[in-house]
Amino acid sequence: MEMFDCNVCLGLPCTPSVPPDAYIEKAEDLLDRMAFCGINQALVRHIAMEEESPVVGNQLLIREIASFDRLEPSWAILPPQTGELGTPDELVARMKTDGVRALWAFPSKHHYLLTGTTFGGLFEIMIRRRIPLFVSAKERSNGIEGFAMIEALLRDFPKLVLVATDHGCWGEDRLFRPLIERYEHFYIDTSRYELAGGIRDFCDRYGPHRMLFGTGFPEIPMGGAFLTLLHAEISDQAKAAVFGGNLQRLLREVRL
Amino acid sequence: MRNPSALAKEFRKYGKAASCPIIDMHGHFGPYQGIYFPADTAEAMMRIMDRAGVRMIVCSSHTALVDTRRGNPEMAEVVAKYPDRFRAYWALNPNYPDRMKEEIEAYPEQKGFVGFKFLSDYHKVAITDDRYGPALEFAQEHRMMILMHTWGNSPYDGPALIEEVAKRYPEVTILMGHSGYGEWDRAIGVARDYPKVYLELTAAYHANGVIEEMVQGAGSHKMLFGTDMPWFTPHYGIGCVLCAAITDEDRHNILHRNAETLLRLRGVNLEEDDG
Repeated sequence: MEMFDCNVCLGLPCTPSVPPDAYIEKAEDLLDRMAFCGINQALVRHIAMEEESPVVGNQLLIREIASFDRLEPSWAILPPQTGELGTPDELVARMKTDGVRALWAFPSKHHYLLTGTTFGGLFEIMIRRRIPLFVSAKERSNGIEGFAMIEALLRDFPKLVLVATDHGCWGEDRLFRPLIERYEHFYIDTSRYELAGGIRDFCDRYGPHRMLFGTGFPEIPMGGAFLTLLHAEISDQAKAAVFGGNLQRLLREVRL
Repeated sequence: MRNPSALAKEFRKYGKAASCPIIDMHGHFGPYQGIYFPADTAEAMMRIMDRAGVRMIVCSSHTALVDTRRGNPEMAEVVAKYPDRFRAYWALNPNYPDRMKEEIEAYPEQKGFVGFKFLSDYHKVAITDDRYGPALEFAQEHRMMILMHTWGNSPYDGPALIEEVAKRYPEVTILMGHSGYGEWDRAIGVARDYPKVYLELTAAYHANGVIEEMVQGAGSHKMLFGTDMPWFTPHYGIGCVLCAAITDEDRHNILHRNAETLLRLRGVNLEEDDG
């Protein structure tokens, strides 16, 4: 079974939220850590994409992981109106050159509105090209946060492939399940899905195809989400889908 | 998987380990306000416990956190029905001192309870407040165990307040539920400096690197496994313990040995229960 982690970050944050030794700066060390836990592959972002700037971080990530096939790059977006990452077409052209098939939005730290007014042009291209957008459920934009922000986005762009990561562990099913029912291109990751019996219950209701394996490393140890999914009360076929099949399908469907 | 831990290999393969019968020292039971639980009955919890090799769980009912008069008897029924899998904490609410006094007096008659449960952050009464006095004095006199919800920088149950209580009541065994979440250094210091204070890991395990700091700072002999079940699945916490950079001896201490010792002191004979 391929274990493909959709939620991994490389690099040292300016203000660690867990003991500093938990963070990993180099791709080789990340691969060692993944091998220690039994994870084969990861969709990676770099902390500099969020904390410094996508202008720096996107390229830094490519340089850092260039020689490692098992690390799949993802980039961060900025409002096209400021031109920092070029036009949407130029961004997509660079994604093609660098083999990038997924994007992240960090509206809180990057100080923009994650709305159609700002990103309509880019999102239409992403819908057409089936490029997934990853957003942490901790993010905030336009005065709203978490799943309220995500729902507002999905209302305007229901065909956008959107993955919400890092939903809290203190019970958010009542928040995200309505969005799963309403929006067929909406997914959640498992990094904080600690709920007893949660994966089985979710898959019984919605099938295994709306959930992606993620660990939230390095803030969260890889082992928690890994062992939870490995021994969830779902079929091996369903596990294979969540562990890697779903993400591989999403990335395969991207047309750059 | 390159993790050399024999326990990690066994858990990966089977989901449980015969040599590691886990004891969960922080559980609940029944529905609760802000969360949907797919598995909050005793039977559903036992099904999940079986998959993860959890031998026993010590719970307070969610109802008891809101209404002790309805909730504690509810928990007693579960323990009576499944004595080999459940033990319980007798929940107290200091906002109702007369009722709390009656419940303290009723405690010695209860079967299957191994201590008190305090939830100061939710009840909005500081653990050092006089209203907790009767319960703490009773616990001191009877050398009892108390599971206290603790949270970093909380004005009700932060680690600094737990230290005050530990100083005043040295015979009380204090389980710091959630290990003073977020205020790790202070919580570790309290567990290190006070012989009867333990770090309980519910939710704390998901802060990467903190388990290692606890082992280094307080020692694995002062750590206990817990899940808040039906909130969290045991496999999540177990997975975090298994991938931490600690030894299998530490893992055994955390996952069952320390709890076995504490429960034996309170009359729970796990060998006998094993049949």
